[in-house]
This record gives sequence, structure tokens and C-alpha cells, in this order.
Amino acid sequence: MPELNVMSESPALSPAPGSGTGKPLSVTGLRKTYGGVTAVDRVSMEIAGGEFITFLGASGSGKTTTLMMIAGFCEPDSGSIVVGGRDVTRLAPQKRGLGFVFQQYLLFPHMTVWENVAFPLQLRAIPKPELRRRVGETLEMAGLSAMARRRPRELSGGQQQRVALCRALVYRPPVILMDEPLGALDKKLRDQLQTEIKRIQQELGLTVIYVTHDQEEALVLSDRIAVMRDGRIDQFDTPRELFERPRTAFVADFLGAANFLPGHLEQQASGHTLVRLDTGGVLKARPHPGAEGAPVQAAVQPGRLALGAPDDGFCSGTVESVTYVGTLVRVTVRPSGGTDTGPIRLELPAGRAPLVGERVGLTADPDDVSVFAAEGGG
Amino acid sequence: MAGSLLAPAPPAPDPAAPGGRLRRLRRALSERRTRFGLLNATPVVVYLLVLFVYPIFGTLLLSLKAEDGGWTLHWYADALRGANLDILLTTLRISAETSLLSLVIGFLLAAAVSRLKPLWAGLVMIIVIVPHFISALVRTYGWIILLGEHGVINDALTGLSVPGAPFQLLYNEIGVVIGTTSVMLPYTVLLLYAVMRGIDRRLPAAAAGMGAGRLTIFRRVYLPLVAPGLVNAGILCFILCLGYYLTPALMGGPKQTMVASLITEQVMRQNQWNGAAALGIILLLLTFAGLLLLRLVKSARDAARNRGVS
Repeated sequence: MPELNVMSESPALSPAPGSGTGKPLSVTGLRKTYGGVTAVDRVSMEIAGGEFITFLGASGSGKTTTLMMIAGFCEPDSGSIVVGGRDVTRLAPQKRGLGFVFQQYLLFPHMTVWENVAFPLQLRAIPKPELRRRVGETLEMAGLSAMARRRPRELSGGQQQRVALCRALVYRPPVILMDEPLGALDKKLRDQLQTEIKRIQQELGLTVIYVTHDQEEALVLSDRIAVMRDGRIDQFDTPRELFERPRTAFVADFLGAANFLPGHLEQQASGHTLVRLDTGGVLKARPHPGAEGAPVQAAVQPGRLALGAPDDGFCSGTVESVTYVGTLVRVTVRPSGGTDTGPIRLELPAGRAPLVGERVGLTADPDDVSVFAAEGGG
Repeated sequence: MAGSLLAPAPPAPDPAAPGGRLRRLRRALSERRTRFGLLNATPVVVYLLVLFVYPIFGTLLLSLKAEDGGWTLHWYADALRGANLDILLTTLRISAETSLLSLVIGFLLAAAVSRLKPLWAGLVMIIVIVPHFISALVRTYGWIILLGEHGVINDALTGLSVPGAPFQLLYNEIGVVIGTTSVMLPYTVLLLYAVMRGIDRRLPAAAAGMGAGRLTIFRRVYLPLVAPGLVNAGILCFILCLGYYLTPALMGGPKQTMVASLITEQVMRQNQWNGAAALGIILLLLTFAGLLLLRLVKSARDAARNRGVS
């Protein structure tokens, strides 16, 4: 299968005259309503040149609408969009000079692969020899040289998406927008294309804004991720920050499927907060502003919990299940004492697997425990 | 094409076995499905043989029969000579003019309708099609009332003091082309509308995103996608016009006599069936020639495209 060649030794694109890197982009107070329903509300962000940004959210979170406003296919009610220092808020899409890759590929069916990729260059009146060189280079980089004369419908989904990617890369737009470009592909192909997209983005220093609902994809690709919910950005941070210091219960749940442990604020100490869990124990957590006795939820990622002796840590209980997942084991522990708030999930190195039915205690580094006010989250 | 993709490839015939084809045919006939299929096809085949194949061969024979019962080509020679040749050329010219005009108007109309919401589009299509439930004769008289020297249009133009009004809009080529175009329009509109509806509206948007202006999008994306529909509609229109009788006969002058009128004249007035048959066969051949030309143009274009890439 030709599309499974990974082009490790393919030539790099020659740098564009002037600059080979993506431009910065800034969005301020973007807002869009559809018949009284607010689709996007006060979205602001600064994106540096060459950054890979992902809008992550469930469907209806406003991520695609935000992207379409940046693209120019949909006009914001208010707010502004500045690309490389130029305000493009009221410009038509063709005047913005951005690049696009869509989930449905949208290749021109009446043109060959070569013609599809050459199309944006022809629009820019690039002289023929240079056009030929650039189209050739781009197709080679994507491993599509052998398919230059085929029509899109003669290609597989993965190949079509590569052509779409080539078509967006070939004219070196300052910013490339991608709307779930891998959504229609199977898992294996998706993983492979992710690696390629990331490699090309880094090689060429492209600014990419990527929309997806797949958190794993977002974590693999992005320099920074904007987690969106109900038309707003919940948190805009590096994957690591989002994972380790989620600012809302939603982010903690959406990114890492955190354990949520209900309880009450017990005491504010210097440098950390103590939470009295409903299961009985006391958990040390990162500082959280709030009155003593306020209902809260403490969130810990399954991978950040450790096992100890039965009376160690913030909670003791019985191991309910142990599942091997490659080098990891997934363990669930049913806490004993206090109100039953459901099993707690852990991910441990395979060598440290406990036995089912064993009595254990759970410990966590206070730095890995986030505290949220009780109404949100899961 | 879809059929060839879906059907499994037939097994390659064994060149060593001369009776292979016959054997395969016999095997196919013994299959229940094949027999059932043949049974189903029989009424249609009989219908076509009786009402289509037999009359065409009858006409062909008639056009080759001399008065003395022998074979001759002189009916064809007559049809392609003098006044008859002029009529043939007029027919081709008027058909071409009508096709072109129907395509232009049909394209604009279909493009506008395909932009409407489905409900409104349906209404407009009904408005385009419903007049054609009325007899062509009545519609043609309607046009005569509109276009006459003291018709609605000329009265309006005279009232507005348009220089040169009243215009001669009837009993000349303008009249014929207007009338025939109005008859052909639903075909082009329906064909083009179907093609335009099938175009992914996001394709022009994608082109715009890459920086294409409206004109470029139209020329490089929209038009090539509609092109197959334009060709089909144009050919259909042309073929229908070639044999069209009523409107040209009523709205044209003596210079706009078309082949269909000539055939009527030969049969009704001169009782000249052989010459009429020859004219009919010529029309049929012209139609085939048009279809052949279409295919040649298409394959030449594909070949040029493939050369252009390397």
C-alpha cells in the first residue's frame, strides 16, 4: 500500500522567498450568535508564529465556528482577527491568504492531483518553472509523486487528505487552518498522518490552527490547546499545564478523565489546601481559594496516584479490578469508610500491580491534586 | 462506469478453447436469474422491435428504393442539392442558435434557482415547467400575440418611443428562435439544475479560501463541474430542434423552412415518400454525427489533459 510509506528521507521544502515561517495571529473578543443562541462568546487568544494550536472541544462547543470566523467563511458579530499585523476581520476569505484543510478534503474532482496542488500557485501567477518545482517538491514530500496524474476519486481517503494537505502547504500561507482533517480516517492512518503533519509543521515553521474533538490527537500535536466549552475557552495552555494544572473541572475531566473526589474544604495551610473527603480521609492539594467547609471536588489523574500500606495516605480501600494494558495496569480501588463515592481509578507501572482484594492505601503528591468548587465536573 | 466497478470482472476467456464463449453463454442461459431477466425484458424488446427498429429499417429501405423498384441513392442526392440543401443548412443553423440561446438562458436560470432554498427552488421549477403542460400550439399562438407587429411587446416599445420600434419579431429567424427556445428551455433548465444541485457548494468556497476571485472560481471550478451538463443539454436541445416542426412552421417565414416542414410538404402535398424518407435518415445521421463528435471532443480533451501533466 503506497500510502503507508513514511517519508523519512524525503527532501525538505526549500524555504519560501522572504520568510519560511508562519505568521502570528491574534483574536480579540470574538463573538457569534445564531438566532439568539451564542455559538462563540468572547474568545480571545494570542498565537505566536510557528505555533501549533488546537481548539479542543465536544461538538457544539464553538470550536469550528471560531475557526470559520478566522477563515472568513462566517462573519463575527463583534471582535477582531489580526494575522501577521494585518486586521482581516472584515475581509473575504480569498483576501486573507490563509490555508485550509477540511475533513471532507474538498479536492476539485475535475482536476488531477497535480492540478489540484498547482491551483493555488496558478492563482498567484507563479512562473511555470517555479510552479513545477514547488508542486513537485510538495508532492514528493507527501509521497504522492507517483499519483500526480490521477484524479482524486482514484485515491484512498488517506491519499486524498495528503493531497489536500499539499494543496494547503504549497503556497506557504501565513496560517493554516485544519478542521478535523483526520476525522474520516481509521486509527492507524490517523496516527501516521499526525506524525507527518507535526513533522512538516516543525520543518517549515508553520502556524497551524487545528480543530478536533479527540484529546489524544490534541495532546500529540499541539504546542498549546484551547479547551472550549459552550462557546468559550475554558483554558488555553500547553498540554502539560492542562494535564497537570487544570483550571476547571471540565478540563480535568475532558483531558485526562480525572478521578473526582467529593469533599469539603477543611483548612487553608500555607502552600496547600486540605480537603476532608466524603470517604473519610484528608487530602492535601494545591491551593484553592474558598471558605472553610465549602463543598469541593478534588481531581487527580489516574496516573498520578500511588499505592501504599493500608493506613497510608488519604484513603484506604480494597482493590476491585486489575487490567493489564501493555506496560501499564489499570487498577480500581473501592474506598472503605465514609460515604461510598464510587471506585477510584489508578494507572500503575505493570511491575507494581496489586492483587484483587488486597487492602491498600492511596497517596498523591499535593501538587497533582486540583480542587474545584463542587457544582461543576463529573 | 458504476456497473463495471460493481460487477466482478468476468473470467478471462480461455483462448485454447474455441467453444468457450458458447459454453459460457449456455451456462448463463441455464441460470435461473438469466432466464428470469430475459422473461422480464421480452415486452420491452418486442415493443422496441415493432415500434422503433422496424419503422427505422422501413424508412431506410424506402429512402433507397427507386421508382422502378431497384436500388438508388438519388433521393439522397436530391435532398442534398439546391433548395433542399439550403433548408438542411437552415435547420442546422436555427438548431444551433436555439441550443445556444437555451443553454445561456437555462444556465442563468438554473444557476439562480440552485441558489434558492429547496422550497422556493421547487416553486420556480414548477413555474418553468407548468406552461409546458399546455399544448405547444396554444403556446405558439401566445407568442404570436405577444410578438406581432401590434402585439404586446411592440406596443410597449412604441409607447416607450424606443427608436426603430415596432420591430419585426415574427415570421423571421428571430421569431423562430424565440419560440423554439421557449419550448426547449425546460429541458436545459432541468438538466443543468440537476447537475448544479449535485455540485458540492463547499468546493467554490474552498477555492475562495485559497485566494481565488469570483471570476476564477467560476471559470476554473464551477464551469468545469457544470460542463458535462452543458454538453448534454446542448446536444439534447440540438437534436430535439433538428426534427421540430410546429413552432418554426408557424412563427417562421419562407426562409425559415426547416427539414420537418419539408418532410411534411413532401408527404402531404407531393405524396413523395421516398424523398421524405431520405430526409429523415439524413436527420438521423446528423444526430449520430453530433453524438460521435461529442465523444471525440471528450476523448481528445482527456488525452490533452494527460499530456499536459507530465
